[in-house]
Amino acid sequence: MASYLNARSSIQAKNGQTALPIHSSEGDATIPVSFNNAEEHPYNETNHIDHGVTQAPYERAFSPYDFNGGTTLAISGEDYAVVAADTRLSSGYEILSRNVTKLHALTPRCVLGSAGCKTDIDQLRSVLDINMKVYHHNHRKEMSTPSVAQMLGNTLYYKRFFPYYSFNVLAGVDSEGKGAVYSYDAIGSFERTPVTATGSGQSFLIPLMDNVITHKNRNDENRPLPAEEVVEIVKDAFVTAGERDIYTGDQLEIMVIRSSGITKTTFQLKAD
Amino acid sequence: FSNLLINLLYEKRFGPYFIEPVVAGLDENNKPFLSGMDLIGAPVYTDDFVVSGTATANMYGMCETLYKKDMEPEELFETLSQALLASVDRDALSGWGAVVHIVTKDGVISRELKGRQD
Repeated sequence: MASYLNARSSIQAKNGQTALPIHSSEGDATIPVSFNNAEEHPYNETNHIDHGVTQAPYERAFSPYDFNGGTTLAISGEDYAVVAADTRLSSGYEILSRNVTKLHALTPRCVLGSAGCKTDIDQLRSVLDINMKVYHHNHRKEMSTPSVAQMLGNTLYYKRFFPYYSFNVLAGVDSEGKGAVYSYDAIGSFERTPVTATGSGQSFLIPLMDNVITHKNRNDENRPLPAEEVVEIVKDAFVTAGERDIYTGDQLEIMVIRSSGITKTTFQLKAD
Repeated sequence: FSNLLINLLYEKRFGPYFIEPVVAGLDENNKPFLSGMDLIGAPVYTDDFVVSGTATANMYGMCETLYKKDMEPEELFETLSQALLASVDRDALSGWGAVVHIVTKDGVISRELKGRQD
């Protein structure tokens, strides 16, 4: 019979069961062996500084963001820009208010429209207003629309690693009096575009604008559209978005921005 | 046929066919018939339009705005093509051309469209 030392080293582990092979004149056999010292460290109740999470992991769910819904649309023209947004504030399946504005005039020639998390939007606006006051003090003139566009992009990127949950469009007239529209993502990437839409209803509106305003995939004559016609198109577009998007509805605010100033109109949408 | 499809899809309730079909045609009285379904056969019947695919949100917007009742086949073809082309151009997963079939009592007119090839 082999010595105990020899036997120990010849133990085979198979399928988690350690076994000692025995050779005898009667034939071969294996005796199952368990090493109790190794198993003597289970997690007992006193060892839970992690509160049991390693044994039973689960995901903690507090999200600092909420989506308060809404859609905004901005279209630039020859010497005007039109920006429109619905006035519904929602959270989940509930409507919090039917009469909250999403448009904010930053200068008499520039309007910011935002959809997303209302608290982040309000904070973003405060920050922008303050920075614009500082600019005004330092440069003794009002900020031009392209400068506002750049500043908004920078302000959003400051919070690159804990973003403002705000989807913005900026509409106004530039220093030459031409209509200017800028579209943004949540962390400040921006581009000057002829038309843009943002918010929960953006996918309903953008292809429509591509076809009707930017005239894509059309062979008929492309004539520049006057402001009144564009406002009618905007109303139709929002009726569509209101039909198919649950977060869009109640009322529509439309602002037409020209070098002479801003005119605001409201239009009723479906309240369902 | 729509009913047949519905039952066929629900048969595979726990191992479905990954399709979201739309059915369009004329019934026995030559009245237009439209229906859309999800992958397990839940139908929706409309008299204006049905959409399906990756660009559904885009298409709902286009169709809702451009649709009018009682269009003639030629006008319907124009409207349908504009709606489809504008929607797929804004979707990364759709595009590279389109096929349109107009079903009338005299037959089916099929045309191929060329859109953005990206």
